[in-house]
Amino acid sequence: MAHILTTCTFCGVGCGIYLEEDGFRITGGYPSMSHPANQGRICVRGWNVHEVASSPDRLKQPLIRDGGGFREASWDEATSFVAARLKHIRSEHGPDAIGFINSPRCSNEEGFLLQKLARAVVGTNNVDHGMGAYRSASIEVLMEMLGVPAATNSIADIEQSDVIVVNGVDLALQLPTIGGRVIRAKMGGAKLIVIDPRRHRIAEHADFFLQTRPGTDRLLYGAMAKVIVDRGLADLKFLKSRCQNYEAFLASVHAYDALWVADACDIPPGLLESAAIAFASGQRGMIMYATGAEARGADTIRSMVDLALLTGNVGRKGTGVMPLAEHNNLQGTCDVGVQPQLLPGYASVNDEAARRHFESLWGAPISTRPGLTTRGMIEAAFDGSIRALWIDRHDPATAYARASIVAALDRLDFMVVQHLFMTETAQRADVILPVVAFGEERATFTSTERRIQLAEKVIDPPPGPLPAWDQIVRVANRLGARWSYTSSSQVMDEIRRAVPFYEGASYDNLSREYGRQWPCTADRPLGTALLFADEAPSEPFRLAPFPMPEMAGSCMIAEYPFALIVGRSLYYWHHNVLVQHSETLKREHRVLQLDYPEGFVDINPEDARELGVRDSGKVRITTLNGSAVSTARVTGSVKRGTIFIPFFLHEVIGQLFGEPDSSGGSSDWPICARVERV
Amino acid sequence: MRARVIDRADVLKIVDFLRRDRYQVVAPFFGRGRDTVFDVVTDANRDSVQLHLPNPYYPPKRYVLPQIHRLLTARRTILTTRRTGGGQLRIDVPEDEPRLAIFGIRSCDLAAIGHLDRFFLGREYRDTYYERLRRNLFFVNVVCTDTELDIDDDCFCVCADTGPAARELFDLQLMHLGGEYMIVAGSPAGEAVLSHPACRQATPAHVARRREILSEVRKRFKDVTSWYSMASRLISLGEVGEKTWEEIGNRCLECGGCSYVCPTCTCFTVTDRSTADGVTERIRLWDSCALTGFTRMAGGHNPRKAVHDRRNRRFFRKLSHYFVQRELSVACVGCGRCVEVCHGDVGMPSVVEIIRRAAAARNETR
Repeated sequence: MAHILTTCTFCGVGCGIYLEEDGFRITGGYPSMSHPANQGRICVRGWNVHEVASSPDRLKQPLIRDGGGFREASWDEATSFVAARLKHIRSEHGPDAIGFINSPRCSNEEGFLLQKLARAVVGTNNVDHGMGAYRSASIEVLMEMLGVPAATNSIADIEQSDVIVVNGVDLALQLPTIGGRVIRAKMGGAKLIVIDPRRHRIAEHADFFLQTRPGTDRLLYGAMAKVIVDRGLADLKFLKSRCQNYEAFLASVHAYDALWVADACDIPPGLLESAAIAFASGQRGMIMYATGAEARGADTIRSMVDLALLTGNVGRKGTGVMPLAEHNNLQGTCDVGVQPQLLPGYASVNDEAARRHFESLWGAPISTRPGLTTRGMIEAAFDGSIRALWIDRHDPATAYARASIVAALDRLDFMVVQHLFMTETAQRADVILPVVAFGEERATFTSTERRIQLAEKVIDPPPGPLPAWDQIVRVANRLGARWSYTSSSQVMDEIRRAVPFYEGASYDNLSREYGRQWPCTADRPLGTALLFADEAPSEPFRLAPFPMPEMAGSCMIAEYPFALIVGRSLYYWHHNVLVQHSETLKREHRVLQLDYPEGFVDINPEDARELGVRDSGKVRITTLNGSAVSTARVTGSVKRGTIFIPFFLHEVIGQLFGEPDSSGGSSDWPICARVERV
Repeated sequence: MRARVIDRADVLKIVDFLRRDRYQVVAPFFGRGRDTVFDVVTDANRDSVQLHLPNPYYPPKRYVLPQIHRLLTARRTILTTRRTGGGQLRIDVPEDEPRLAIFGIRSCDLAAIGHLDRFFLGREYRDTYYERLRRNLFFVNVVCTDTELDIDDDCFCVCADTGPAARELFDLQLMHLGGEYMIVAGSPAGEAVLSHPACRQATPAHVARRREILSEVRKRFKDVTSWYSMASRLISLGEVGEKTWEEIGNRCLECGGCSYVCPTCTCFTVTDRSTADGVTERIRLWDSCALTGFTRMAGGHNPRKAVHDRRNRRFFRKLSHYFVQRELSVACVGCGRCVEVCHGDVGMPSVVEIIRRAAAARNETR
């Protein structure tokens, strides 16, 4: 028996956990008391994450399509077959007929090699992670305004804060470790401002709960900025010394009318005003928002960053802007270049100097043709310009639950899937390459607080599966590359040369203490917990002036009077790939499905009374794109005019939204819906 | 009870003695940061065994109630065919577990084993799976005397009346008296160890010193209290208001951690799963009343659907007179793990405090 410190790979918090093994399998897991992210606490998923490795349903051997089914193949046969098919498609249709998609759960090493395979071996920029639509807004805005596409602070700082804004994320269900920090900060005296159309567990603790009409947050932040400026609470010293564009920003703020905005948001004007004053009067203010399914669009994120800058809340302990990643390696996947338009380290593909750097590092030319996003690749698969897809741990057939996606995948000439399990997507593959599970390989992940951490190898994988990075190396070499990596740590050594802020993140360094937060460079080997702390950034921060919109983005169509919002539940997690393989999580997930086989829709008691809908009664929801029947849950957690549908029954979501991805890169523009009793 | 003393430098010879006596020995070690852990003693790590350190977080209850416990395996020995049907099943129940000595178990955790014994073995039905693990255990209790290392601000064993020195259930008890340790045997198996040449007869001065140290150590707990009796009375009489439970429930993030780390929590779930070709295993694993599925009935009714009802359930189970009467103690030993594990700080001491305050506030308004 041994206890090995590793990193939980469920969500972006990156909790430190110990795994216990008995020589054959993992027998238990528990949180580290000392890990700075979680300090002895983990959520129900972390408590059960160890069960995935011992799941009996795992794929054991490479599979090659054979008529209607699959046959087992050796690694040699499978990888040479994949290489031959890719080579053929590239010579027939060109490199851009091939696309690469991974999941933001993949390790840094895996993601880095996949994009290197795409760019340096196949010769295309068609490489993206499956959550592209969600994350891009946050990355773009933070790059443009702060110069760094990540949280400026650390999870441990939350309890140092004295005023916290939680925007549109049900922390108690999605990121409980962070939710707990917020609750404890509040109990320690911090003021808590929750801005959300739903009254969730964290909202119960709020000093100021601004239950907005969906789609009006951007207005709200503008009006809060106006109140702060009018009351003389703006941090002018910070604005003048560290920001550009502030005159234009202050001018745009003056146009806001707080009374009108409060009305548009459907909140009392006094509440808006006192929340704004509370935020600006705090010494250390923090703003957190989600980057996953409940993500805000670019404009709302801009207005949140504006608010942080206006009050000087960047660069000090307890302050900051904190985008929260739901997926365990969303941050790292973007850092290492799994994005069509960005090379590792966020250099643009259009930046010639950056391209040169990678061409000399990789000894291969890099295409200047723009790559496709995940959505673009799937659309291109449908229209025939993409002929082959390589999908690493992602499951688009389940993730988006649209018939059109399945149809697109079925039109491909060739599809490779790397996965632990026989997913919906894998069933349509030509070759399936089984990967090793959590605890069976050593690899790094980067958490939502920029912490690059090792997940350790605790037990040997069963005979058959190989680490995903190793599979990519084998195929690359059969395509003529001469890659000589023999361990994941050698891949990390190359990432350190490719991504400037990972320079100091050798495995040796990462294995001390609890990983390192980037920037981790030669002169900062211990990493950086707090960005912008000691020195002014080379570029000043850039405020985004925000003219007051003409109208609020709410539902104005008479036939569709309800604003529909979509969110997650605790046990619904990334399409259940992991949840399905833990006995405890599976049971909890099934409870939801058993209780609500058609999903549920939360509706306000007064709305329910007017529509004659009873609790647990059937309702039909109709949107512009489709219609579905579900079960009503009459609850005060949503206000009048808003309905909430959890994202656990994707069939229902699919029926409602019809077209791919309208389920929302953002909830800036709510979906208009009609509700009828069935 | 005969007391012996042993030099500090010789204490680990007890570990060696037990290992030679065909025990697998687990003992506490320092891990990273302030993490500590019970792990198997080997030749390589024997010298790193710690006598004084923060009590390991992952409780030693897992040696009698593992996080995942394989109860039996079933495999088909003759394959079923469509024509003949049937087939044959071979069911294997694991053998008795090897002799295991837990060196350095704290008094609170030992009291918790007593609680588990009463639950699993104390009534008409004896749990054979528990018994199989339990009957080969040998406990070496170490009394918490180091007020810096052994005891922290979350410990409240004096309130639960389980420590700092255990009164029963140990085979051997060790207590630091300065340069030497007092050893007391609590069972015939423990007595056998006292014949070790490193053990000397204790003098009345040693006994006096022991008493003196214990009363000194108790002062370390003076700021940490859990006033069970009042909370227990209020819970038993149903005098804790719905609002109070809601306040507690709102701070619960349903992680289940309090049950998992609690050395007295007994709840488990049983499930069958297939592992490899034709092999099915029956496992039982830790379960928690914090989770919705825990009390959901097959027909869909859930008497504890709301989170605050589930919290109500936990503290009723731990503190109500009904259970205290049946099990002779509150189902809490004061180890403080639930304080550390809880996202919303609704571990035992906080809940007792919330309940007391609510009652006091109600009395004022009356």
